[in-house]
Amino acid sequence: MRKVHKGLLVAGSGFITMILAAGGAWAQSATPSATSGDTGGKVTFVEGTTNDMRTVNPFKAIESPEYEVLNLNFDLLEYFNHNDLTAAPGIATGWTQSDDGLTWTFNLRDDVTWQDGEPLTAEDIAFTYNTTIDCDLGNSVDYMVPDFTKKVEATSPTELVWTTSKPTTAPIRPPWVYIVPQHIWGSASCEEINKAPFFEEGKPMIGSGPFQLIEWNKGEDWTMKANPDYWGGTPHIDEFKVVRYDNGEAMVNALKNGEIDFANITSVDLFNDLQSNGADYGISTHVGAADYFSQMSLNMCDSTNPDAAAYCKNNPGTGNPALRDPAVRQAIAWSIDKQTLVDNVQGGYGYVGTTIVPPFSQTFHYEPTGDEVIGFDIAHANQILDDAGYADTDGDGVRNDPKTGDNLDFRFILRSESEIGARLGDYISGWLKQIGISTKSEVVGDGKLVSAWLSNDYDLYIWGWGPDPDPDFILSTFTRGQCGGWSDTCYADPAYDKMYAEQQTALTTQDRQRIITEMQQKIYNDVPEIVLMYQQELEAYDSAHWQGLEDNISPQPEGTLWAQYTPYSALTLAPRGTTASPTSSNSPTLLIVGILSAIIVVVGIVMIYRGKRNDEDLA
Amino acid sequence: MGTYRYLLGKLGQLFLTLLLILSLAFLLFRVWQPGDPVLTWARAQNAHYSPEQLEQVRHEWGLDIPLPEQYVQFMKDSLTFNFGTSTVINPQEQVSTLFSRGMGKSLILILTSTMASIAVGVVLGIWGGWRRQGKLDNSAMGVSMILYSMPEFVLGMILILIFAGVVHWFPSGRYESAVTLTGFDRYVDIARHMALPWLTLMLAFVGEFYLVMRSSLLDVLGEEYISLARAKGIREKYVLRRHAVPNALLPTITLVALSFGFILSGVITVELVFSYPGVGKLSYDALRFRDFNVLTGTFVISVVAVLIANFIADLTYGYLDPRVRRA
Repeated sequence: MRKVHKGLLVAGSGFITMILAAGGAWAQSATPSATSGDTGGKVTFVEGTTNDMRTVNPFKAIESPEYEVLNLNFDLLEYFNHNDLTAAPGIATGWTQSDDGLTWTFNLRDDVTWQDGEPLTAEDIAFTYNTTIDCDLGNSVDYMVPDFTKKVEATSPTELVWTTSKPTTAPIRPPWVYIVPQHIWGSASCEEINKAPFFEEGKPMIGSGPFQLIEWNKGEDWTMKANPDYWGGTPHIDEFKVVRYDNGEAMVNALKNGEIDFANITSVDLFNDLQSNGADYGISTHVGAADYFSQMSLNMCDSTNPDAAAYCKNNPGTGNPALRDPAVRQAIAWSIDKQTLVDNVQGGYGYVGTTIVPPFSQTFHYEPTGDEVIGFDIAHANQILDDAGYADTDGDGVRNDPKTGDNLDFRFILRSESEIGARLGDYISGWLKQIGISTKSEVVGDGKLVSAWLSNDYDLYIWGWGPDPDPDFILSTFTRGQCGGWSDTCYADPAYDKMYAEQQTALTTQDRQRIITEMQQKIYNDVPEIVLMYQQELEAYDSAHWQGLEDNISPQPEGTLWAQYTPYSALTLAPRGTTASPTSSNSPTLLIVGILSAIIVVVGIVMIYRGKRNDEDLA
Repeated sequence: MGTYRYLLGKLGQLFLTLLLILSLAFLLFRVWQPGDPVLTWARAQNAHYSPEQLEQVRHEWGLDIPLPEQYVQFMKDSLTFNFGTSTVINPQEQVSTLFSRGMGKSLILILTSTMASIAVGVVLGIWGGWRRQGKLDNSAMGVSMILYSMPEFVLGMILILIFAGVVHWFPSGRYESAVTLTGFDRYVDIARHMALPWLTLMLAFVGEFYLVMRSSLLDVLGEEYISLARAKGIREKYVLRRHAVPNALLPTITLVALSFGFILSGVITVELVFSYPGVGKLSYDALRFRDFNVLTGTFVISVVAVLIANFIADLTYGYLDPRVRRA
């Protein structure tokens, strides 16, 4: 029997050793990386996010946190106007277009410096733009209209000349290409730039913006330091930090607890809670710009169509041929009650979706009116299908395709990573049923959806877009060249492609506006996809401790407090009153819980040990 | 001699199980492969890739060779813990680096909370079994049933609601405060952040240990040798300590080892609920973003950890109960 006790003792101390070893390893990994100095006096603004950042390569950003960091770390050639997001003076103070429309000349500020102190000149901009074109870098290259751009050159340190083979307004969209320093990237090859992480441990990222990324714990948090020498003004805070949460509830709790100062809220329920109870915690809410939308895409890849994109011909997929009939698509569009989606799924924080250019692109958004509107009318949708010959020939409650006799039965893919994807799908499936179309819904992760989408193996799916202020990019996603790239549906229409090219070379904004209106109408009526709703940004912040956000909302009237296209509020954000940044308090009672397990283990061991001694006494 | 044979037998078993599970992993991640890793990678890269370039990537990753050859390569890489680099989560970063970064944080959480739940569960279980139907037993029984049947994420949410949402004692998630502290304050800060996930994991498993220890003690108390011990006039506390508890502990040790797998899966949920940056969250992210290398890495290492835990349990068991060795 004594053996058993000894065994227990050994096992117990073994565990203790393991804990100590683990603790040691953990302590080692947890030791701050030498950079930590006096954190007490710093003013730090902390944002919570449920999204993540995977790259800070300025040419390859996709996710919003990536753009948020890049927007603060780098400059574009121009600013976005505070109110309507058109091009406004930034590094370029003014610009002129030659009479033939082929040459743009930009005058630049002479007081702009890189964050390492080197001056930023026209050479840097020319280098960035030419490299973007030569190396075909990410999405950025599209902003450089490589088909038309002949050359970009620095004629003096403060003058940049952009020459094109056809007239284009691309240089004042503004081009969304972050200016990178030539003295750092000048010697890198295309492949190196494409693969460059741009930020390496302990090496700050050199840009010219008001903040600089100095630390990035991947998947956890990232920190930006204010650049006091920023040409546009000095930020009133020392640091901006983003911390990542895996769920919205934890993030909102952290906001209420004062652990973070600002958050973009993606859940309507959580936002409603903050709207009604936030004041108790000193939190203000803000319903911002409708700058993104949810759309339902219909598989348009028809490899038998001579006009189909090459990618579609090579990857014909398995889309239901009935979707190639405009009548079916029209009927689907008429069967969706978008207002109900806005009210019930989006909690009213949004607008009924119409065209692919959202309303926050004030200059270019087109809103259909009168007879043009495709509304919600089940009877009309049924009529369209009846007229087109889609009758329920086999009496199973689902209409049949007159050509093949097959049921109108669609595979409907929904995103598990979206808070609203499955709910949108439920509503839409219900309405489709009412017009004799059955659906097989499948809720999948993004990886699987990407595969289905790129191989054209789906009928319908719901995803979303957050387009640029300038509509060029979102319009481009419906051109044939984007099939297999950014095209949602492999839509193929030569007339549309022609209009896309025309708007690129329109001489005036008015001309461009006219063409873009036609393009929006075409997509709206042709229904390769249905814009379900424009969703508004939902923001919440600790207004008890921070000021300077509300008075700098951009764009106007509806815009965002933070994470703006041009960082206006980043320069006016300041702690309220004289109190410094909120510091966390350490309660001694909490330590007790932390070491509870150790105490219990020790007590246990002592008990066993004592028991053994007593037993020996007894024996 | 018996001991060596026992040891060798167990080791052989361990190795066979490992091979079997790795083959299953191969089927999952290579043959069945939910979502094309190259396409997913290309999308995450956000760069223009021609079909030829994609083929090149496929070649570099060894995905274009026949499956049997892929299988051999996969087994070789897995057994040497060579998982290559992350493709989507943290491009270019070694899987082992990613893993070790999260492991320290997870390990401290798992080990301390499991130790605590074993200690609390076993002590309460002994008490409950000894004083069956007593006040403590009845209430502990009720609480244990509730904890045992409650999923970790529900428990975690409830704790967040109470301790972070209402009384504000602890932060609701993450590993440390956004504004990083220094020195001793930092450790206090980390302990505060760890408190709720720790408590969740501890409570989630304490019920199980309690129930098993209690019922196993009750079984033992009905044995004849206990009656004999009492008949010999040994005092009650020594009956319990020397005769009942040691024998009743055996099933609990098996349970600890068997639970290790469940604890690992519990950690995934708990780390997600609390946004705790450990290995559990890494596995989840890998699955979500189809980062197959990281996914394979976390899968294989978890499997190895569980197998080793079982192996240690077998050894301890053999040590505690000589009959097992002979069998």
